Amino acid sequence: MLVKCGGLEMVTKTEELNIVGKNWTRLDGANKVSGRSVFTDDVRLPGMLCGKVVRSPHPYARIISIDASAAEALPGVKAVLLPEDAKGIWIGVNQPLLAQGKATYVGHDIAAVAALDEETAAKAAALIKIKYEKLPEVTSIKQALADDTPLLHAKAKGNVGWEQKASWGDPDASFAACDQIREEEFVTYPSHNCYAEFHVAIADFTQPGKLTMWTPSQSALMFQKVLAAAFKLPDSAVRMLTLNTGGGFSGRVTPRPHHFLAALLSRKSGRPVRIRASGDEEFIMCRAGGKVVYRLKSGATKQGRLKVIEADLLFDTGAYVESQMIVTILTSSYLNALYKIDASRYRGRLIHTNHLPYYFHHGGGIAQFQFALGQHIDGLARDIGMDPVEFNLLNAVDKDYTPLHGSFYTSCGLKECIEKSAEQAGWKEKYGKLPKYKGIGLGIGAMASGAKGVFKHDTSAALIKITDDGLASLSIGLPDIGQSSHTAMAIIAGEVLGITPDDIRVVSGDTDSDPLDVGAFTQRGTFNTGNAVKNACQDARDQLAKVAAAKLGADAEQLVFRNRLIYPDGEPDKAIEFKQLVFDTLHSQEGRFVMGRGFYNSPLEKGTMAYSFGAQIAEVSVDPGTGVVTVEKVTAAHDVGRALNPRIVEGQIDGQVFSAMSQVLYEECIMEDGQVMNPSRLDYKMPRAFEMPEVEHIIVETIDPNGPFGAKEVGEGPIVCTMQAIANAVTNAIGKPVKDMPLTPWRVLRHIND
Amino acid sequence: MGKQLITLTVNGDSHEIAIQSHHTLLDVLRNELGLTGTKRGCTAGSCGACTVNGDAGEAICSCLSLAIEWDGRSVTTIEGVQEGSELHPVQDAFLEFGAVQCGFCTPGLIMTTKALLDVNSSPSEDEINEALAGAFCRCTGHIKVKKAVRKAVEMLRDRAAGNAG
Repeated sequence: MLVKCGGLEMVTKTEELNIVGKNWTRLDGANKVSGRSVFTDDVRLPGMLCGKVVRSPHPYARIISIDASAAEALPGVKAVLLPEDAKGIWIGVNQPLLAQGKATYVGHDIAAVAALDEETAAKAAALIKIKYEKLPEVTSIKQALADDTPLLHAKAKGNVGWEQKASWGDPDASFAACDQIREEEFVTYPSHNCYAEFHVAIADFTQPGKLTMWTPSQSALMFQKVLAAAFKLPDSAVRMLTLNTGGGFSGRVTPRPHHFLAALLSRKSGRPVRIRASGDEEFIMCRAGGKVVYRLKSGATKQGRLKVIEADLLFDTGAYVESQMIVTILTSSYLNALYKIDASRYRGRLIHTNHLPYYFHHGGGIAQFQFALGQHIDGLARDIGMDPVEFNLLNAVDKDYTPLHGSFYTSCGLKECIEKSAEQAGWKEKYGKLPKYKGIGLGIGAMASGAKGVFKHDTSAALIKITDDGLASLSIGLPDIGQSSHTAMAIIAGEVLGITPDDIRVVSGDTDSDPLDVGAFTQRGTFNTGNAVKNACQDARDQLAKVAAAKLGADAEQLVFRNRLIYPDGEPDKAIEFKQLVFDTLHSQEGRFVMGRGFYNSPLEKGTMAYSFGAQIAEVSVDPGTGVVTVEKVTAAHDVGRALNPRIVEGQIDGQVFSAMSQVLYEECIMEDGQVMNPSRLDYKMPRAFEMPEVEHIIVETIDPNGPFGAKEVGEGPIVCTMQAIANAVTNAIGKPVKDMPLTPWRVLRHIND
Repeated sequence: MGKQLITLTVNGDSHEIAIQSHHTLLDVLRNELGLTGTKRGCTAGSCGACTVNGDAGEAICSCLSLAIEWDGRSVTTIEGVQEGSELHPVQDAFLEFGAVQCGFCTPGLIMTTKALLDVNSSPSEDEINEALAGAFCRCTGHIKVKKAVRKAVEMLRDRAAGNAG
């Protein structure tokens, strides 16, 4: 195993790899630093209108009447949508696109307008008069679960919209065999993804039976399928155009109300329509996670053997179930991912309230769950009198282990990550020995690289065409939402073909021409699309090798493709140039134009082929006068399988440490009577440059047997470790547990003074 | 509402533009001149995506500045930073040192950095932090951004030394 610590120095890791593992500048970088990159809001279509949505100001109200006559009469208004125009269109599981009779949350879409410009659209939206009769709202989980609270949906008994239950082994018997049992409750509060690029969609539905949409997205395929179903079109009649996407953070996987509304407004007006969010709308139209209460119980022997974990989770899911049942499925599986335990039990319930239907935040609910679980396990170790690092090492999973949820770990660097991060951070010298109000904490995590289950397949496909100038175009359907996935794919292609990533153009973002790809979520890009690209390039290479073998009088299997040359292994003096070979292959009697195709789909029925693992040590200081937590340093080890592009891997780790630090210390949609009280980037606090700690990276490489060149995900694994590490460090600093997130100064002060 | 004619110089090019009094500099750059490299973010001065450089090279939130105030003045946008086909050292440093991810905030960050380094060729850590405090990046955690700013300082110093030599 190869382990590389910190810094930018490049290490050549294996003799045989020439492209993979070096630092490559991202292919889209030059456009991004010079203002030439095009994002959705930069698109101008002829005759394009501006859309504006009218939303409920009340958490719960009956809609008595809607009068749109003044809006319709306003010069410049080209279309008005009312609830009856959107009948039969559903979002998520059970949400009508426009409120039908009742508005059930602040921000519930009721009507929409399209006009010549933003000002006229805003004016028209304000002219739509809606009469409401306010109803008593339900704005907390506790209230929703009370016996006398009216049901928000007749079908959701007890206001429980979804329940996920699972049990592995014999939890009761396992608890009975424990010497130490710990039971406690944690809470995380509502949040927002805060993408750099605000919500925006442009729809062109001016031809019947053909919808074209530009929007930032993590999965064009999901958008295409959901929109096609809503408008009763064949999938291919919906053309999704994904330009640069200004961040995903688990929040851009499926279409949201504004996507459907832009399409309907376009169809009605006969012109393209853009809907984009203003600063405050951003927080009202979509949010990430709602409040979650985590009740955890676990037990261990006095020797420190963890035997059983039980979790009972309550999610404020909002007025409708958007997609949070997936969070319950994920958290139930991740309950078992990290430790060798005998048994576990899970219950997760989605509770309806008069809040916006919640979605995912960065970390997909798993990182937030680990905020609770990581602290809980830390507490159990303390109860037994064990050092948390020792406790975690004693119980951590290994390679070739099958955890209770049934996956198989073909590679696993969890223990190495714990050991290396602890060693690098000086854990032994610091834990329990720091002055008061200084703390150190450990967090560990696992993350699947792709997960079959959304569809029956988890397929990514790729196509590479090689032109007679020796260059190549790689077509994929995986979007680059900032994670540098397109460059990673060019690295894989370059390694297989013996050319450089700079020789390759990555073409993507148009469902009319892209090969199929499930998309950039569940951390599937590197693993699934990476394998598809590798297969496509191998296909192209085989075609070229056949011609080269004949020319060189060598065995095609023995040919080396490297440094834009092809030669029999060990005989570089016989090399022919890659460009010449491609030219000769085309300009021949056969006239072969080389195109390689490939796809990858996990052979499993469900779940993932590979997990990444990580461990992080956070060091903090707490100001006992103000409650302000300063994160001084984070030492982050991550088992990425193999780092395809090490500097980009570091950047992924940095970004996730930031995002997790942001969530655990700052981010909160402060709710009052169903209303967000801080809907702006100024009041919804996130760390700025001066607040960021030093981050030390430790890249652990376990070379996964099924990953492309051994690679696994690094897109959401690191974030899973950070929140718990910081919380554990705060607990270590103040000597009291901190069970609510975010740990804003007033909450920390309350803990100190309790 | 009547329109007013203003003369605005952008990246050295002079434009006569008819604007309404409530239009911001950002509106004019993006909608009237098609310079979409300057990004429309929060439109409230809290994200920095719309940052351009004013007459004196200062960092300006173009979303908070009325276009009418710019009559007879000049601004530099991200499209005007590159020198011919060569990237400016600040752009180069951001590109080479991994300070770019999704890229939406990048133009604003580069204009913020350029404004700092144009007047301060050796900023302290605190001065870099202060300059970047108004520029929000969701992807990078600002860590490689700060590294890139420090690299840009070195690259500009090397370039100045080269020119002097």
